[in-house]
Amino acid sequence: MRFVLALPLLRVAAMVDFRVRSQPPIAAWIFGIVGVALLSSASGCRSKDGSGASTLVLAAYTTPREVMGNAIIPAFVSSWRESTGTTIAVQESYQASGAQARAVAEGFEADVVALSLTPDVNRLVDAGLVRETWDDGKDRGVITQSLVVIAVRPGNPRNIRDWADLARDDIEVLTPNVRTSGGAMWNVAAIYGAAMRGHAGTAKDDPAAAEALLASILARVKVMDKGARESIVNFENGVGDAAITYENEVIVAQQQGRPVEYVIPSSTVRIDAPAAVVHRYAESHGTTAMAEAFVAHLSAPDSQKAFAEYGFRPVDPTVKAREFPPARDVFTVDDIGGWKKLQEEVFAARALYDRALAKGRPE
Amino acid sequence: MSSRSRPMQPWLPRVAFLYAALLILLPLAALAYGVAEHLGGTWRALTSGPALDALSRTITLATIALAVHLVLGVMTAWVVVRDDFFGKRALVWLADVPLAMSPITIGLAFFVVFGREGWLYPLFTQLDLKVVFAFPGLVLVTLFVTLPFMIREVVLLLEDLGTSEEEAAATMGASPWQVFVHITLPNILPALTSASALVVARALGEFGAVLVIGGAISGETDTATTFVFHAIEERQLPAAYGMSMVLVALSVAAFATFSALRRKVRS
Amino acid sequence: MSPRKARIALRTGVVAWMVILVVVPISGLVLRALASGPAAFWGYVVDPVALAALRLTFGTAALAATINAVGGTLIAWVLVRGKHPALSALVDIPFAVPTLVTGVVLVALFGPQAWLGQVLIAVDTPIVFARPGIVLAMLFISLPLVVRTVEPVLSELDPAEEDAAETLGASRWQVFRHVLWPAMLPAVAAAWVQTFARCIAEFGSIAALSGNIPRETLVASVYILGELEAGHADAAAAISVVLLVLSLGLQPAASALVERRYARV
Repeated sequence: MRFVLALPLLRVAAMVDFRVRSQPPIAAWIFGIVGVALLSSASGCRSKDGSGASTLVLAAYTTPREVMGNAIIPAFVSSWRESTGTTIAVQESYQASGAQARAVAEGFEADVVALSLTPDVNRLVDAGLVRETWDDGKDRGVITQSLVVIAVRPGNPRNIRDWADLARDDIEVLTPNVRTSGGAMWNVAAIYGAAMRGHAGTAKDDPAAAEALLASILARVKVMDKGARESIVNFENGVGDAAITYENEVIVAQQQGRPVEYVIPSSTVRIDAPAAVVHRYAESHGTTAMAEAFVAHLSAPDSQKAFAEYGFRPVDPTVKAREFPPARDVFTVDDIGGWKKLQEEVFAARALYDRALAKGRPE
Repeated sequence: MSSRSRPMQPWLPRVAFLYAALLILLPLAALAYGVAEHLGGTWRALTSGPALDALSRTITLATIALAVHLVLGVMTAWVVVRDDFFGKRALVWLADVPLAMSPITIGLAFFVVFGREGWLYPLFTQLDLKVVFAFPGLVLVTLFVTLPFMIREVVLLLEDLGTSEEEAAATMGASPWQVFVHITLPNILPALTSASALVVARALGEFGAVLVIGGAISGETDTATTFVFHAIEERQLPAAYGMSMVLVALSVAAFATFSALRRKVRS
Repeated sequence: MSPRKARIALRTGVVAWMVILVVVPISGLVLRALASGPAAFWGYVVDPVALAALRLTFGTAALAATINAVGGTLIAWVLVRGKHPALSALVDIPFAVPTLVTGVVLVALFGPQAWLGQVLIAVDTPIVFARPGIVLAMLFISLPLVVRTVEPVLSELDPAEEDAAETLGASRWQVFRHVLWPAMLPAVAAAWVQTFARCIAEFGSIAALSGNIPRETLVASVYILGELEAGHADAAAAISVVLLVLSLGLQPAASALVERRYARV
């Protein structure tokens, strides 16, 4: 395996004499490679599943990959086949919610998006890709609910019960990066909301106290992953003492045999995750009917049951597939002012989150 | 002028081996151990649809890169060494640029040009050819990251070889094309084999650029490396380790094959 | 086609190929970085998180280059002065390992779940998700670069000079310091520069194990990706341009170092 890596800076001064006459093998060799390349590129350029009206492209956030891949999509494919006779293929992409929204806005031609929070879908409305009426339905486009919880080691050896515990000196915390991860934004909303509602040992409606709490927690963060899934996997691999994450992420991990438990803080936010048809792309692909059917399918009782099996709290109140632990104070984003207010006051550049991060981790 | 075996301090080889073993062998052993640990589901994982799809896409990209650079890389090297025109040194400088760039930057650069706000976007939309988040984008970045290897090796070799043989053949009545095929090409074979191994290994291992330009969409732009990335996220360790091992094995096989080819050529 | 026409066609084809593949994307990148004007460009560069990422990247790359300059030269020396095919094969392995796999494996080896990782945590020197891990990843991927850069130059060193010095009574250390080291230095320096340039661009292995905490364990390439994914392509392009200019600027420096070496001969 020894060979010389010749760099332009260095002249290999002594070259061994190796002039050889053997043209036909060379020519055959080169043409062979070119031929194989052309053949394979021809097959590669044509999308494996045949693009066009029989392929549905789904862009989702990181968390629902199992439930989508194992339950929801196969059910849709077979029901679509039953009703129309066509077997379709579904291409899936799972990425941090913010990053996924950005990708769709910049040219990733997904027919359906399932993201972590409404503002990410609204980003696509602003880009002219999703219709403004996407959230006019009775559930406002939301297909699953969950809670922000704190994942801990089995037996909770560090005795972590609530937000204030995450600020302790002996604790290392995992939470993702708010710029790319929807989950991270939910986490911050939970901490901020709990503080503002006076449940985290802070005075009610005191933004400064909320900022201080957030700063003290951010000071304990060990790794800031791109997305919620990366974060919980890191936690499972032994990093940190606690991970702020979606309840359903922990449940899925438990289903896969991972040693994790979770604690519901005294006050936490309800995660409402939406889905929408990306009409601009679906129309150009000729998949509008399929995409609309898929989004409708997500709210159907069977899908809601599947979501519940994978740890989500279903939107449909008649569906109950598992017992969820009760939570004391659960609020929605609307209860703390709505996303618009949060984005202005918390997530904007140099707003509350940035200040807390700088305060918590001074250089 | 070759190195002579000369007695050296005995501790030198030991320290050298130790350093190399710790730094290289240890991680490699960890990889082998990881594969062995999760061997159970590995075969099933690697023969699943998405795995085969990702792997075949990667192999396709490597093959295309090799084919293109064998032709265009040799052409470029030949022009740089044997031709003369204003600004030709710039070609060599350009060929080195990919080595100085981070894979993320490479993906970003192509994204900026071919994405929705890029200035080539209208043209390619007209041609109904998707580049970003599609296979052509993967091809472009793969060609870009593998560009320097063939050109550099061939340029060095051509410069060293000199033109005497070619001139002799020309005086004996050979046409330029015949000179190229019968004299030049056989002479640069060692460079071609060395560079081919590097091109293939680099193409197999590319991650950052294909992630940015392609988005790792399963069934469309998922490569073997992004497959490993996804597998980790899905806690599918057999798949992750298995595919990693396949990639390493393919690279090693490429090195071995081209090395053997080179030896055959020299004999 | 006449030879002259063929020549011109060939020349044109090659230039077109390089322009399309290299010039177009690079200029697109630069234009995007400056899209909002030079003041905005500067603003992106001096952003505290960006600066911290650049500082961390340069620092770890410099450290890795230095360590490997020593280790790699040592290995190259052993390879040149002896017959060690196993060592030679070992050195080439990082070329065959995708960078992402490197990162995954290092986490598997030194992460909190591995016994080695637990030992490290116990003595309070964690490697992964900390700066040492970044340096370690850089060491792994750049070792072959150093060895193969230095090796050809070392193989040209004439042992006769060393023999002469020894017969004149020089100790091994004096032989090294006065005969070998001056001859090796330009090549080692060139290897250092090459390694540095390679390491500041590294992504795959570092992304998997670095923690990505802004201002602490966030390297430039991961920062660029983060900016891109957050929708700040201009900022991403700006930092990319900084890295690119630095790398491209270093290459002539490395060349100059090697030229000097040949001037001596």
